Amino acid sequence: MKLLNQLLHNRKALIGLAILILVILVAIFAPLLTEYSPVKRVGRPHQPPSWEHWLGTTRIGHDVFSRLVHGARVSLAVGFGAGLLITVIGTVLGIIAGYKGGVVDEVINFFTNMVLVVPNLPLLLVLAAFIGQASPLVIAIILGFTSWAWGVRVTRSETLSIRQRDFVKSAEMLGEPGWRIMAFEIFPNLISIVGINFIGSVIFAVITEATLEFLGLGDPNTVSWGIMLYNAQNASALSVGAWWDLLSPCIALALLGLGLALINFAIDEIANPRLRTGGMLNRWTRMVRLGEGKL
Amino acid sequence: MAFLLRRLAFYLAAFIAAATINFFLPRLMPGDPIEIMFASAGSELSLDNLNALKLTFGFIDAPLHEQYLSYLKSVFTGDLGRSIKYFPLPVTDLLGRALIWTVGLVGLATLISFTLGSFLGVMAAWRRATLFDSVVSLAAIFSSSVPAVVVSLIVLFVFGYTLGWFPNGYAADPMLDPGLDWTYISSVLYHGALPMLTLVIVLTGGFAVTMRNNMINLLGEDYIVMGRAKGLTDSNVMLWYAARNALLPTVSSLAIAVGTILGGSLVTEVVFNYPGLGNTLYQAILARDYPVIQGQLLIMTAAMLISNFAVDLSYVLLDPRLKGA
Repeated sequence: MKLLNQLLHNRKALIGLAILILVILVAIFAPLLTEYSPVKRVGRPHQPPSWEHWLGTTRIGHDVFSRLVHGARVSLAVGFGAGLLITVIGTVLGIIAGYKGGVVDEVINFFTNMVLVVPNLPLLLVLAAFIGQASPLVIAIILGFTSWAWGVRVTRSETLSIRQRDFVKSAEMLGEPGWRIMAFEIFPNLISIVGINFIGSVIFAVITEATLEFLGLGDPNTVSWGIMLYNAQNASALSVGAWWDLLSPCIALALLGLGLALINFAIDEIANPRLRTGGMLNRWTRMVRLGEGKL
Repeated sequence: MAFLLRRLAFYLAAFIAAATINFFLPRLMPGDPIEIMFASAGSELSLDNLNALKLTFGFIDAPLHEQYLSYLKSVFTGDLGRSIKYFPLPVTDLLGRALIWTVGLVGLATLISFTLGSFLGVMAAWRRATLFDSVVSLAAIFSSSVPAVVVSLIVLFVFGYTLGWFPNGYAADPMLDPGLDWTYISSVLYHGALPMLTLVIVLTGGFAVTMRNNMINLLGEDYIVMGRAKGLTDSNVMLWYAARNALLPTVSSLAIAVGTILGGSLVTEVVFNYPGLGNTLYQAILARDYPVIQGQLLIMTAAMLISNFAVDLSYVLLDPRLKGA
């Protein structure tokens, strides 16, 4: 609650939240925003933007605006679904590794490092290729199970320092069970890292889903921003001058990515007040997830 | 030495893990995986192809563990099987040809963005909380939150189609004979400009941020104060006291970034129809050419591990504390 309150007083967070809320509202009210079905031919092919079709039509005569607003649902669902999965796995493993130590730590740490050195996108491409035309749900699941390593690494190192603190020691003296200490003593102190991990993972999932679909590994019948890019690229939208077909999903993706990144940045500023005097972006590296966040 | 050996053992394990995924995936497919692969690749089921494909995935008349060992053996001897689409071209040949373009493109783009990003990061940290710092920081947020596919499409639209300054595809003018003469090289540079620009936009932000972050953490250290107290000039303290030490962790972030960089170039090559690994892979995905798709995972993993090892080596050279270890 305190975190939320502080977020509302941070300009970057406000801009980011405004963008995110806009996208969420658009996704919820998609059918009310447009009279056209996203999957039916409603006009002649490749019509430029007009009053009838705000963002023009695709090569097969779908309304671009209708596909864009309906596609927001898929992007958000995959982003937040996969983001949640990545964060839960990363946080649980990270806390266990950091708190338990010993063999448990070594095993988890070994696997984490191994996952970190196998390049993420090529691995996802292989998995998706064998699954065949992957639906957004399938993409979200494989993203969740292959991308948690960064979260484990950060959570673990933070847990290692927290477990040395007095309140953890005293809880141990009082004989609290291990799971209770992890869940109620350590976890609350990790909330900002978990938040940053979550938002970072959402950005990663949104980008990766779009990329996999753009590369032709998605289900072509899905209405999503990635499939819009894929279809536009296949229709050679740019070379025939139908820029609206390709740029609409591009700008939507850029906007959502930027909004989420601003929120992430603000959380970090609030969680580490020291950073604010240091100008912007002090521990931005962690959020950017140099290793895997960008594709 | 022990440190390097330990790392080597770990990288070997990681590579075997990637190969193991490749080995088991086709076996997890329902039905006869080889037939499914052929059906989805849409090619003729000639006996030759079938046998070659079976060998590629280690389907031999033997128990599973022997199949596994024979698969690992062929992977480690550099045999990644044959492409279905371009049968009987070996996967290593196909990917090897493409690799040259990718390495050139990615190598140069990484060099430029690492230099530019580190420089911007140093300057931003030094002039903390000034206008320059805010502009660099905002640009960095933008650069690192917008997907590579979006950046490359917009770059292609603006510079390729709207302004028409640069070609929209291929690595060089297809009319030219490849050779080491100036006409060909200039054509390569001209065609590579837009993919390069895309990668530089995508990568610079991350490097700038890492460098700035490291710098700021170092600026409070005693030896910085000491340098200033000695009366050294600002730029001397900035470059030789702070930036030099801040560079060390940045180098390690470079290794972690290799996967990202390769991923970014993959998408960029598809957009610009650049004949590197990414585009070859894209064609393979469209044709469901499984041996090629799997081969790229091993090649990309190997690239990632080699660069990680290079960083380990540079650490030993740069950080005297590791020398004895």
